[in-house]
Amino acid sequence: MHIADGIIAAEICVAADAVSVGALYAFGRRTRPEDVPRMGFAATAIFAASLIHFPLAGTSVHLGLIGIAGILLGIRSFPVIFTALLFQSLIFQHGGLISVGLNTINLGAGALLAWGIWRWRSIPEQLRAFSAGFCGILLPALLMALEFELTGYGRGAFYILSVYAIVAALEGGLTLTIVSFFRKVKPELLDSEILEADVWEAEE
Amino acid sequence: MQHAFLDRYSDLDSPLHRLDPRVKLVVFTAILLMMVSVPRDEPLTLLLCYPGLAILLALSRVPVSYILRRCLLVTPFVLMAAGVMMLTGETNGRAVAGTGADLRSLAALSIVLKAFAAVIVLSLLTSTERFHRLLEGMRALGLPPLLGVLSAYMYRYAFILSEEVMRTSRARLSRTPGPLRTGRIRTYGNQAAMIFIRSWERSQTVYNAMCSRGFTGEFPPTSDLRSSDLRSSDLRSRRGDLRSSDLVFALIVPATFLAVRLWG
Repeated sequence: MHIADGIIAAEICVAADAVSVGALYAFGRRTRPEDVPRMGFAATAIFAASLIHFPLAGTSVHLGLIGIAGILLGIRSFPVIFTALLFQSLIFQHGGLISVGLNTINLGAGALLAWGIWRWRSIPEQLRAFSAGFCGILLPALLMALEFELTGYGRGAFYILSVYAIVAALEGGLTLTIVSFFRKVKPELLDSEILEADVWEAEE
Repeated sequence: MQHAFLDRYSDLDSPLHRLDPRVKLVVFTAILLMMVSVPRDEPLTLLLCYPGLAILLALSRVPVSYILRRCLLVTPFVLMAAGVMMLTGETNGRAVAGTGADLRSLAALSIVLKAFAAVIVLSLLTSTERFHRLLEGMRALGLPPLLGVLSAYMYRYAFILSEEVMRTSRARLSRTPGPLRTGRIRTYGNQAAMIFIRSWERSQTVYNAMCSRGFTGEFPPTSDLRSSDLRSSDLRSRRGDLRSSDLVFALIVPATFLAVRLWG
C-alpha cells in the first residue's frame, strides 16, 4: 500500500501533499513533550512489527497495524504515520517522496476511522477491535483504488481491492488478538487516551 | 547484528556529498516533480532524462549495483501497476500516429520509467548525505519540528526494534512449526502486541533519560543549519551558509532537467 512515485498522477500527489502537511500541523499541534517519545516509539514499533510476515494462500503478507495505530494514538496517529512513511521512503525507497502525502492520507484515514470505531463504546470491545483492524486496511485500499481510477487505470485496481478485503479480515483478527493481549497484560495502553484528549480540551 | 545499509555511502567524498543538504533536498525534489509530471504518453522525454541521472550517479560515486538493487525492490509493485494499465487503462488502446504503439503501452512504459527514476533520485539523495543532516535540512526548510523529532527516533530505534522482531520471530518459529492453523493468528498477534508493549516501556525509560538531560520536546540542531538563518533575505551574506558550488548546482541541474522536460 506504499504507492511509489510515478504511479499516480502528479497533480493528485501534490494536492495530497498539501492536504497532508496541513493535517500534520492540525493533528500534531500542542503535542506535549512527554508524548513525543511515545509517538516516536509507536512509529518505530509500527515499522518494526510490519516486518512480521503472515503466511496467506501460498504467499505472505506483512502486518499493517493501522487499526492499532488508531486505537493507541488517536489523532496523533496521523503525524506518526506521516513520519513512518517518510522514513521508509527515504531510507528504503519503500513508497515515493512525492506520493508520501497521498500514502499518508490513505493510511491516516484508516487510522482515524479505526480510532472513531474504537471510541464507540456502546458496542462490545472485541467487535470494536476487529472492526478497527478491518476498516484500518479496507479504507486505505478503497482510497488507493479510487486514486488509481482517477489516474486512468480503469477498473483493474478495484479487482485488487478484493484481495485487500481478505487481508483486511486477517488484520481485523490480528487486531482483536493484539487488543486482547493488551487488555490482559497492559490495560492502561487501551484506557489512557493519552494523546488525543488535550488537543480538543485546549480548544474548548 | 550489522545494519550497514543505513547511510551506507554517505561517507564517500564526491561533489554531491559536499553539497548543502538543503540544496540537495530542493534540487532532488524538483527533479522528482519534473519527472513524475511528464505526461503518460511521452516516455521519450523520460528516457532523455536518464542520461542526466546517470551523470549525477557518476558524480556521486555511489555504486551502480547498489542503485540497481534498490530498483529491484520496487519492481514487483511497479510491474503490477504497469500491468493493470496495459490491461484496463482508460486510453482504450488508441494507436499513436507514426509510432505503431498504443497509448496503454506508452502509459505503462512511462509508469516504469518514472518509478525507477524516482528510486534513483531518492537513493542518490539518501546515499550522499547522513540522515540526521537531511533531517536538519528539512527542518531548516520549514518542515514541522515534530516530524524531525519523530524521524530521529525512528532512525535511532528502527533497527533495535527490528532486531527484537527477528528474535521473537525466531522464538515463535521454534515453537510453532508446520502449516498455518487458525490458532496461529493469536500467536502472531501476541508477538506484535509484545513488540508494542516493549517499545512503549522503552519510550518511558528513554523519556526519563532525556528529561534528565534537559529535553523540551525538540532536538537542538547539531550543525549550522538553523532555521533562523534561513529567514534572512540575503543567505549568501552569512558565514557557513550556501557556497557558490551549492548555488551553481541548484541553478544548473534543475534548469537542465526543465529544458529536457519542456523540449524533450
